[in-house]
Amino acid sequence: MPGIIDVSQLVKTYGDGTKAVKGISFNVSEGEFFGFLGPNGAGKSTTIKILTTILRKSSGSASVAGFDVESDSAKIRKIIGVQNQDTVVDEDLTGRENMILQGEMQQMHGQALKDRVDELLKIVDLVDAADKRAGFYSGGMKKRLDLATTLVHDPKILFLDEPTTGLDPQSRAAIWAYLKQLNEQGITIFITTQYLEEVDRLCRRLAIVDLGEIVAQGTPAELKQEIGADSISLGLESTTMNGETKEKAKQVLENKFDRVSNIVNSDIGLTVYAKNGSFLVPEIVRAFDDAGIKLSSIAVSSPTLDDVFLKHTGKRIRVEEVTSANYRGMFARRRR
Amino acid sequence: MKKLVRNPILIFFSLFQPVIFLVLFTQLFSKFGQLLGPGVSYTVFATAGIVLQNAFSSAFQSGTAVVDDIKSGFLTKMLATPVNRSAILFGRILSDAFRVVAQTVIILALAYPLGVFPETGFLGYLLIIFTVAFFGLAWSGISLALGLRTKSAETVFGIAGFLTFPLLFMSTALVGQTAMPAWMQTVSSYNPISFAVNAIRNLITGCTPDLSNCAIGYDWSTILQAYGVIALIGALTLGATLYLFRKVVS
Repeated sequence: MPGIIDVSQLVKTYGDGTKAVKGISFNVSEGEFFGFLGPNGAGKSTTIKILTTILRKSSGSASVAGFDVESDSAKIRKIIGVQNQDTVVDEDLTGRENMILQGEMQQMHGQALKDRVDELLKIVDLVDAADKRAGFYSGGMKKRLDLATTLVHDPKILFLDEPTTGLDPQSRAAIWAYLKQLNEQGITIFITTQYLEEVDRLCRRLAIVDLGEIVAQGTPAELKQEIGADSISLGLESTTMNGETKEKAKQVLENKFDRVSNIVNSDIGLTVYAKNGSFLVPEIVRAFDDAGIKLSSIAVSSPTLDDVFLKHTGKRIRVEEVTSANYRGMFARRRR
Repeated sequence: MKKLVRNPILIFFSLFQPVIFLVLFTQLFSKFGQLLGPGVSYTVFATAGIVLQNAFSSAFQSGTAVVDDIKSGFLTKMLATPVNRSAILFGRILSDAFRVVAQTVIILALAYPLGVFPETGFLGYLLIIFTVAFFGLAWSGISLALGLRTKSAETVFGIAGFLTFPLLFMSTALVGQTAMPAWMQTVSSYNPISFAVNAIRNLITGCTPDLSNCAIGYDWSTILQAYGVIALIGALTLGATLYLFRKVVS
């Protein structure tokens, strides 16, 4: 079955010769919550711009809801909602007027538009502030308004580029909750974000891009499984923690446990990587007891998407709380 | 339009300069009138220049506005909607023209108690407003093109500041050609601003550009010459704008 988003061998080379996207292929099925992750400069925004018909591709093919991004761009624009990295609200207009304006750009009119705006204002909790100018809104409110404007025309597919970056945890949680709700109503969501826990919880599938290429794709569970090993963090009792005990502990682990794939030093003792780590815990405790090594703590954690990300891109994803995006937003009041 | 009403501070400040020109300059240079000819009021003479100077600096705001639209992501957001591509550009240009018209009306209203009333009557008023709007359109093309090309409000402002004074002072906007040194007379004869000023001045005073004949009423050759020059500039600047806009949106 063809996906609602189909991308094949997509390439984008900018005028200055920069290859932003180097032949990526993926597809998203209808109703999916799809995460598109990657470090800065990986080609995420470029891909979104091509899919939302703002940017021309260089080669390859891309279609949205069966429409080609170039020959049928007008049809695509009617059924997609797009939220950019920058929050775009007109600060001289009220929240309601912002939404009416966006509705008119989507060629909606009259009572139908008014009703739809009222409905959305309720959904994003902006009823009380609806008739205040957006310039007085907080960052979180602006983002919610921006999200609401992308929904006016009841899009089938929502493209979101970093929708929660730069928001406080509460606003972030609120946005993710709306997105979950929207997805449950059947809207396909295509999202780029830096918040991996939320991706893990909400995205059904994801792709990781790096330097213009897709380096991994699958469900969060599949990707974490690929990492293959849980990490077991062993805390050694401080009185006995010296080089000698550590060496001794390492030897015990190496000799007795062939499932251990890696052992590294940590601040509190050692970190051990092994498949199905939790089953090893009792055995490790027993073995250390026999060898007279005193443990102060033991903790097992399964691989996170962060580990997956690290493995495929060699980078840890970093969330910058004050990004250039909202920095600009603070100073660039639009004038007309 | 709604935005303009919502932002009265912007209207106020963009009107500030022409109003200062209108009130202070005309007082300061009131003796100039005698230089231009017997019984000529400098206020009446300079109103045409001031109206145009306002259109000129107002037109340069278009460029910075379009830069804002690009930088804030507003343009991108609009591009992802079914809005017609050219409507985005024309909406901008029309709203700019509307602003210039509103400002011109205010300036003419303020000039009325100072004794400025077009000799050509009400139709003259309408023609003045039309001329100014037409001029504003043509010049806003320059700032739009600059904005689209450089994507920097500072550059647009810088170039605007660089252009405004030489072009304005080396035109017939504030001083008649007879009061200029010879080389400046030559410059001002070719200065496109002079053409537009002469047309508006004719509509206000009913005189020929050199004020030698004040019984002529509509001086169609001056007016049509001005429209020709404005149309030429407009075609060039708006053509460039359209070309650059296409490049930005594709």
